[in-house]
Amino acid sequence: MEAPVRSLAGAAVQRVSRALTRRRPLPYLLIAPALLGTLLVHVIPIIWGVFISFRDLDIYTIANWRGAPFVGLGNYLEALDLADPDGVLFMRSIANVVYYGAVTITLGYVIGLGVALLLNQRFHGRTLVRGLVLLPYIMPDSVAYSVWRFIFQARVGIVNSFLMSLGLIKEPLVWLVGTKTMFAVMVASIWKGWPFACLLLLAGLQSVPRELLECASIDGANWWQRFRYVTWPHILPVTKTLILLNILWNFNAYNQFKVMLGDDPGIYAEVPSTFVVRQAFDNLRYGLGASMSVVLVLMMTVVAVIYLKTLKPGRSVED
Amino acid sequence: MVRRRAAYQNSKSPRRVRAIRIIERVALYAAVLVVLVVVLIPYAWMLSGSFKTSLEIQSADITDPELAPRWIPRTFTLDNYRNVNRTVRILDYFVNSIIVSIGTMLLCLALSILAGYSLARFEFKGKGPYVLSLLVTQMFPGILFLIPYFILFVYINKWTGIQLKNTYGGLILTYASFSLPFSILMLRSFFATIPREIDEQAQIDGCTPVGALFRVIIPVARPGIAAVGIYAFIMSWNEILFASLLTGRATKTVAVGILEYITNQEARWAGMMAACIIVTIPVLVLFTLIQRHIVEGLVSGSVKG
Repeated sequence: MEAPVRSLAGAAVQRVSRALTRRRPLPYLLIAPALLGTLLVHVIPIIWGVFISFRDLDIYTIANWRGAPFVGLGNYLEALDLADPDGVLFMRSIANVVYYGAVTITLGYVIGLGVALLLNQRFHGRTLVRGLVLLPYIMPDSVAYSVWRFIFQARVGIVNSFLMSLGLIKEPLVWLVGTKTMFAVMVASIWKGWPFACLLLLAGLQSVPRELLECASIDGANWWQRFRYVTWPHILPVTKTLILLNILWNFNAYNQFKVMLGDDPGIYAEVPSTFVVRQAFDNLRYGLGASMSVVLVLMMTVVAVIYLKTLKPGRSVED
Repeated sequence: MVRRRAAYQNSKSPRRVRAIRIIERVALYAAVLVVLVVVLIPYAWMLSGSFKTSLEIQSADITDPELAPRWIPRTFTLDNYRNVNRTVRILDYFVNSIIVSIGTMLLCLALSILAGYSLARFEFKGKGPYVLSLLVTQMFPGILFLIPYFILFVYINKWTGIQLKNTYGGLILTYASFSLPFSILMLRSFFATIPREIDEQAQIDGCTPVGALFRVIIPVARPGIAAVGIYAFIMSWNEILFASLLTGRATKTVAVGILEYITNQEARWAGMMAACIIVTIPVLVLFTLIQRHIVEGLVSGSVKG
């Protein structure tokens, strides 16, 4: 009487324990190494960065961050202090990057869409051309912006040479120092960035059913009407995702400014990334730099949330 | 109004219709040509510059027609390639980049294959939030955690004696983590396309779930795994921000090494263009191999531009 009960209970316990040891932990064990990497490289530094931002951490206190004076919101007040030249420059860098982003994202999108519409036509060599337009996207950032730096040189560059041959300028223009720096970086960034937009939009265009477009032309819709009422709804979801990604990435643009203009791009092309890197690693004010990073995260989060709430992107291309 | 226009078009003579069609074709090819020229100009200028003598580039002057920069080198030279490791040790940096990129690829694949398999084949608590956290991490630009990450390296050195700054290991760990979110999501979708019956059959035949991963899933998903590995390789080949702070003389990668051609004293454009070509070639070759997969990945998810 007792024995079968015990064996039944034993079997149940055995089954449960087997389920726990053999089945349940496995999925967690499999993601554990990746999770550890993400924790170590992303999560812990981000959280720690918030702690550091409340301290006046510099080169003397870096070996013992608890010893660094706790300054509360001091770093934040300093970063946003418009009576301080650095505070003004930080604000200026944010204004610069908004300007930079607005121009490059808009033009990159318009060019990308135009070329995508072009490449969606049937013509000889279309597959080859579709591959070739990706060349700017493939070129490593440091290479692409180095070549553009060469192209924009005042005396040996081909931009000035081209403008002079057209008779538009008499004297070589200085592109990479002073007021025109932002323009030069924008041109290079648009060249590098539009194929990404083009690629996504082309995929969106291919999801437009041909029959629908044919129906529309039979009904007498002109080119614009077909685009506006048939094509546009199909590329709207990918457009929203694309713009959001571009906003997030461009807000922290660093490579193009660093490669074309060096560590100190000057007031006309200073952006938050270059400014934060200089504050932390040239001026060795880690606490101040960390607080600026936190300000940037907060601004980005606000922008992203507003964007997501109002436009509701994120639906995939297939939807 | 629209109707009338269509009727008008129908009334046009066949010859005029054909003429319009030819003009449209010509315009189409002309537009394609313009796009290609714009795309190729920096490539062509880079290639042309890499075969010029330093003297030709340095003495170029757009205000003087005699010395205006030309597309075809006046004197064609291979010296920039022959002396590529002389002024800037770009070949040494190239070797560093190869080591770091292959290390990143292997570490990233090891971690993302396991995690991708877990997401593709198991249901577990916290799966949804984990996938969401991957998407969020992918959005986070490096500048936001660069400073604390740098300080973390200082403390790891202090507490454990392990030096991560200016070592291959530190850079590989960093880059592998950067490429993890995209790699995991890509591999999950690759694995999900493999019919479950295949690995269930293997498990009936006595394989453990982990055994099924190694004996069945990985061999079947080899193309997808290769694509993800190449993605990780290219990502670490191109990274600038962390490389400029975490590498030193011994570990500098090509992405930051290239910048050394321009100093306050001189601008060695010819040598730089040759180095640019050498740095671009591996990326071009590898990207061509995986273009189809990356394009699919871009469309379904997103890769950092």
